[in-house]
Parts: sequence; structure tokens; C-alpha cells
Amino acid sequence: MTPIQSGQSLRLAGVSKTYGGFRALEPTDLDVKAGEFLTLLGPSGSGKTTLLNLTAGYVEPTAGEIRIGARDVTHMPARHRNIGMVFQNYALFPHMSVGENVAYGLSVRRLPKPEIARRVGEILALMRLDGFADRPVQQLSGGQQQRVALARALVIEPDVLLMDEPLGALDKQLRRSVQLELRRLHQKLGRTTIYVTHDQEEALVLSDRIAVMDGGRIQQLGTVDDLYDRPLNAFVAGFIGESNLLPVRVLSTSGGQASVDVEAFRRTIAVDAAPGTATGEPARLLIRPEHIELGLGGDGVAAEIVEVIYLGELTQLTLRLDGGETLAARQITDRTLRAGARVHVSWKPGHARAVPHSPSKPTKTEKADA
Amino acid sequence: MARRHLETACLLGPALVVLALLFVVPLGRLFSLAFTDPAGPFATFGVLADSAVYRQVMWNTFVVAVMVTALCVLLAWPVAYVLSRLEGVWFGLALYGVLFPFWISVLVRTFSWMLLLERNGPINRLLMATGITEAPLALLFNNVGVLVGMIHVLLPYMILPLYGAMVRIDRRLLLASDGLGAGLIDTFRRIYLPLCLPGLAGGATFVFLLSLGFFITPALLGGSNAITLSMLIASFVNDRLAWSLAAAGSLALLAIVLVLMALTARLLPIERGLFAR
Amino acid sequence: MNRLPLVLRISANAGASLVLAFLVLPILAVVPASFNKASFIYLPPRAWSGVWYERFLADPEWRTSLVNSVEVATLATIIAVALGTLAAIGLRRIDGRWRTLVTGLFLAPMIVPVIVTAVALYRSALDVGLSGTILGMSLGHAILALPFVVINVGIALRAVDDNWLRAAAGLGAGPWRIFRTVTLPNITPGIVGGAIFAFITSFDEVIIAVFMAGYASKTLPVKIWESIRLEFTPVIAVAATVMIALAIVLFALAQIFSRKTGSPSR
Repeated sequence: MTPIQSGQSLRLAGVSKTYGGFRALEPTDLDVKAGEFLTLLGPSGSGKTTLLNLTAGYVEPTAGEIRIGARDVTHMPARHRNIGMVFQNYALFPHMSVGENVAYGLSVRRLPKPEIARRVGEILALMRLDGFADRPVQQLSGGQQQRVALARALVIEPDVLLMDEPLGALDKQLRRSVQLELRRLHQKLGRTTIYVTHDQEEALVLSDRIAVMDGGRIQQLGTVDDLYDRPLNAFVAGFIGESNLLPVRVLSTSGGQASVDVEAFRRTIAVDAAPGTATGEPARLLIRPEHIELGLGGDGVAAEIVEVIYLGELTQLTLRLDGGETLAARQITDRTLRAGARVHVSWKPGHARAVPHSPSKPTKTEKADA
Repeated sequence: MARRHLETACLLGPALVVLALLFVVPLGRLFSLAFTDPAGPFATFGVLADSAVYRQVMWNTFVVAVMVTALCVLLAWPVAYVLSRLEGVWFGLALYGVLFPFWISVLVRTFSWMLLLERNGPINRLLMATGITEAPLALLFNNVGVLVGMIHVLLPYMILPLYGAMVRIDRRLLLASDGLGAGLIDTFRRIYLPLCLPGLAGGATFVFLLSLGFFITPALLGGSNAITLSMLIASFVNDRLAWSLAAAGSLALLAIVLVLMALTARLLPIERGLFAR
Repeated sequence: MNRLPLVLRISANAGASLVLAFLVLPILAVVPASFNKASFIYLPPRAWSGVWYERFLADPEWRTSLVNSVEVATLATIIAVALGTLAAIGLRRIDGRWRTLVTGLFLAPMIVPVIVTAVALYRSALDVGLSGTILGMSLGHAILALPFVVINVGIALRAVDDNWLRAAAGLGAGPWRIFRTVTLPNITPGIVGGAIFAFITSFDEVIIAVFMAGYASKTLPVKIWESIRLEFTPVIAVAATVMIALAIVLFALAQIFSRKTGSPSR
């Protein structure tokens, strides 16, 4: 099914935000295509909520320019931006019914009453909330409140839909089903969406592209494959999926390849290298647990199995190298693998990757995310 | 951002302007009168400090405030404790008992006490009928009347913060102390009392400061036998038109109140106000 | 302490009951006093009658004072509620040092002894010709009542989530509309509570009124104050009973409203 494209593009150019002496967002460029679902993923204090609030117009940027479609909205107050916002705590108006909450944005726009009623009815039906219009919002369950918040944001046909950890208050089971529903809804409506979360699984399920944030800057922007297979630095590599990250010394680099000295292996190897990997700069060797191959001989790195956890189809192993470092590995379950066994660790060319270390900037306060 | 500041100024502005014009400026103008005596800028304070009569008035004001505060602390204790243990209807009833007097005019309550404490009033007649006393006691127009009336007005200010502190005490702490072998007195002295202290200190400070400036109750129940500073100030204005003395007295009273507030705020763990976020 | 010995428990309960009786019962003594038949107050009355109520209503001075009180309190309430509500909203938008300073200023009329405020106001009122006027008293009472409104509305505002305001702004509402449709409905109980408090503060106030009142602008408490100093007639008890009755009505209203505030909890 081809998504209908019914949002606007969003462009941030050199946007930054400083509170007092604290830099909540470093100068940032971001292009979101019309109809795209983009997730801002990062730990708390990474600047993702600041970025969202700048886009919404709740916070004015210290520098830079923000455009929605062709409109420059940098200094435009939130109410003129035509954005839809879903808050983590939903922020439903407690003195209004479900219908009144959803109708709010339309009545602010002074639409005729019959049209308001029609559009509220449509969106409630779409959100499977038919018959709830007259209910007080406080009588709803968490999941229902979440759908009302979404309906309220969508009914005004926003150019961009912004969601700030909208599933944060739901329990795990419910979160899973709402994720799928959000995905289905986005495919149907095709609204440009910026979604903030710290849950990588949620990001993977929902997004066209993900911006991984840390220390007030976007560390990498890309598709799930980009982030997983070609992380730009050790933070992204560690934040997305599971990973083994071993300290290495970069001896030389050329054309996307690097020669690195891996102390844990006590040998020098040639691997793919992320751009930015440079001689003399701190770097890490990334090997995903599922890419580790175990053999009983060959020229692999010698290790001992110290822990075996059966997860059904897969088995998770902890290996100890002779130097003392440990590696995590995941294998198709093979009952012959026992703790104490000696093995040789190897990987396919292209499955080991050198990435710059790029320590994430320590953030002074949580203010950026508050 | 500038727009937001403008909005905030528009919200706070009217109240600030009115407060400045009707409160700050009049206070400033009054206080400036204290320094206008022809004999020198501080002559009025000299008059207040040198006169034995005025010193007696200040001493009396202080003594009454101390006694009122001490008695309020004593009387508030059982009520606050019982309130913190009660539930349901009884709790509501007891709480209304404490809150109800708040809503009744101090003047009306003082008048009530005048009727009760009169020489031929019901209390004296009861005392004589039960043989506790032969002749009627002088309960009115002296410090006894002032104390009774002021305690009646100020006691709720002591009960409520103390109750607030008690109700927040986690009962498991007391059980834990019990379990660690502490006796009743030890548990009270080392656990319960320290935890009540913020409420106790806050209430006592409030009662003391309010007693210093009390006017209606001492004026009606104490009369000319128990003059307090506030009565003196009023008489400077009304009877003697001695504005500079009234101003000096007012300034002294306010200064004492502010100094005590600053001191207690620093020394005692008083509850932070209502505007803490 | 969970198992306070029986003796202590009984004495705590007995003590509390006695103190509560001390707080409540004496207030009610004026009610029987107002039904005395004699021309002086004797408690409890030896003969009952409502004659002093007729006297109260027939006497133009008492009647005028009651009307004056209502006028002064109404005016003071309007001023205090308007200024205090705006101020409480404004207070939420400032931070740190300024917030502490401005809050302190708004609460100052509660801290400065009323006698000091009264003398200061009286002096300035004399200079500008407001002494002896209803307006002068109302303004003075509004100053005393302002902190109660700021506190009450401030408490109500704490329940207003900043995200509601942001959500409304995101949906296209301007500041005034947000205030009218989101903030105001959620703080109305606080405003009403503050208004009731402001009204009773003014209605009961004696000290400022005693200084400021002119011959024709005495309020009910001023009239009571003056009458007490002349003679104890049961009319005073009638006036006091009227004040108690009004206080009880307002107290009940405030209870009803505070219960309403409690209901929209999540």
C-alpha cells in the first residue's frame, strides 16, 4: 500500500538552544521529508525533547532557522504553526469530555459546528473511540486517553505530528499493540511525524529513519540498517542493538578500511572503518554478538566459554579471551556448547568494524529533557 | 520572549502597583514621621526608650506574647495528637472544631469572652456556686482576660502546623524504635519530638509574632490595666495626635517582628511556604 | 507509640475534648445573650425574647452599619480577587529570586501587624481625603485580603499542568483563549474560595475600619466596637450573632467549593 502523503516537510538549519550557560542542543541540521516518520532516539538529557519543543514552538531557538514546508516558522508562536502534539502524560483537558477535547483545535479555528461534529466523529471512529464523545476523560484507561490525545492532535490535520514519548505511561503489553496501531495509522494517513523515545525497540518498529541523539547533538541519522550495520561511532553502535566494543589502536586508514591493533586479541587486523576513524584517535572495534562464529580450531582468537544461557532457538554465550576481556556471542542453539569449553572466535570480513570512540558529552542537568 | 515578559508584567503589574501605593508607600510615609521630631532624628526613639511607662508597656507586651505562646504549645499538643490519630466522622468533627473559630470575627469572640468573664458572669457564678471561690474573681480588664482571649484566638494557628507535622510521621518509625528496644519516653524524645519540631517551631513563631501585634483582644479584655504596644500606638494617634511617637512605635514593632522572623527562619526547620514548587 | 498506655490515651482524648470545647463553646455564648429580655446581658437569660432583634433592625445606625459592611466587603473582594488572581498567574511565570521577592511582597500584608498597617493607611488616607469613606476602607481591606486570594488561586494553579497550556497553544489557541478555556475553568474553585475568604476578612475586620471609619461610614464591627465601650446592651449580642450567622454561611459555602475542587483528581 502506498502511503498517502499529507504532511509537510520539516527543515532545521543550524538550530541550537542554550539555557543560561547550559547548551541543551548543539547547532543541528535536520531534514524530514513530507510524510516521513522520524524518531529521535536517545537517553534522557540528550536534547531530543528540546529539539521537539523547538519544532513545536514551545521554545525559541538561540540560533538557526526552522521551516515547515515553505514557511519560516523560526519565531512563530506554537499556535500559528499548525502542528499536532501528543504529550507523554497526554495533557487532556480534565474539565472537558472526550468530544470537547478533540473538538478544541477545530473550534479555535472557528469551523462551523456541523463540520466540527463531522470531523470529530470521523477521527473518533478512526481511533476506535466511537461512543466515547460524551465521556469525561478521567474515566478512560491509559490506552484510551492516549488515543484521545492522538485524535485531538490529528483532527486539526497538522503539517507535522509531534509525539513526546507517547507510550511512556503504558504498560509493556499495551505498548506493543499501540506501536503496531501507530504504524498502521501512519501508513494510512502519511502525516509527517517526529517521534521522541528512549526505547530503541519502539524506534525500530515505527520509524522510516532514526536520529540517535546524545549530548545535545544528533550522533547519526539514518535508516535502521544504516544505524545497525554502519554505525558512525561507538555511542550509536552501543545504543542500537547489542554489541561488543573493544578498544583498539588505529595504525592506518585508507578507503574505508583500517588496520587496527586489537589488544584483547593481541594481533593486528584489517577491518571496515567508519568515516572519522583516524590514526591516533581513540577507536573501538565493533562486533555484533550474532556475528561471532565459534570453531574448534583454525586461526581464530582463542577463548573459553564461561557462561551458556539457552533462550530456546538461540543461545547466548559469554566468552573469556585469554587476555581477560569478555565477549558476548549469540548462536543457533547447539547443545554441545558447554561452559568451560575452549573455542576459537572468528567473524566474516565486513562483520567487524572500527568506529571512532567519540565520548558523548556529559550533560550537566536533565533540564534539556524536562 | 519579550512578549512573554510583557504579559507577565501585565499580570503582576496591577497588584504590585496597588500594593505599592496602598501599602508600601503609606508604611514608608508613616515611618519617615518617626524621624521628624524637632529635637533630632532619633529623639522619638529616645522618648520611647527612656520612659518607664513605655518600657513597662513593651515588657508587658513581651510577657503576654511569651505566655500566650507557651500555653498554646501546651494546649495544642493533645488536640494535634488526637487529630492525627482520628479518622472518618470524628476526624471531620474535630477538624471543624479547630477551623470553625477561624471564621468567626475576633471582635465577636472577644465580646463573647467579655460576657463570660464578667464579674457577675456565668464563669464567676459557677466558681462561687461550686465553692471554689468565695468572692467573684477579677478575670476581666487584666492580663488573665487578655491571656484567655488571645489563646482562644491564636490556638488554631498552633494546632494546625503541629498536626501537619504529626500526620506526616511514618508510624513504622515508631514501631521500629519500639522494636529496637526504646521505651516510650525514649521513642518520644528521640523520634517523635524531633519529627514534630518543624510544625511546633512554625506554629510557635507564628503565634508569638501575632501576639506581639494583637490589638482588639488586649484593648477590650485588658483595658488600661494591661496596655500592650499596639494599644499604645493607637492611643498616640487617637488620644494624643503624637504621630512621630506612633510612627516610632510602629517601626519598632515591625522591626521586632521582622528580626524574629528572620532569626527563626534561619535557626528553626520551619516549613517552607505554600509557594514551594 | 502505636500502643500508647491506656492512661495516656484517655488523658490525650480528654485533653483534646476539653480544648476543643474551649475553642468552640465560648463563641456561642453570644447567641443566648442576644435573646435576653432584660436591657442588660445576663447569661443564661432569665427571660427570653426577640425584642433586641427588632431593636437592631429598627435602629438606623445599626442598619446602616450592616449595609456599609456589605458594601465595603463586596468592593474589597472585587479588588482583591481581580488583582490577586492575575498576580497568582503572573507569579507562576517568574522564577528564582524574583519569585521569592514578589511572593514575599504579596504576603507582606499578612506579616506586618495590622495595627501598623492601619495607622499607616489612616495617615495617608487623611492626606488624600480617603479617610471616612467607604472606598478608603475597601482599599485597606483589599490589601489585607490580597494574600488570601494569591494563596488560594496559587494552590489551584498548581493543579494546572503546563502541558495543558502547551497543548492548547499547539491546537491554535491564543493566550487569552487558553486562559479562558483551560486555565480559568480549572482554577475557578480556588478563585471562589479566595473570594469567600476575602469577603469574610473584610467583613470581620475591625482595626483598619476603626481608624478609617467616618460618622456615616461605620461598618458593623466598628459599631460593635464603639457600643461595647459604651454599655453592654443585648443589641451588641444581636449584631455579633448576625456576624456569626454570616460566617457560618460563608464557611459552609467554602466547604462545598473545596469539595468540588477535590473531585477532578486523576
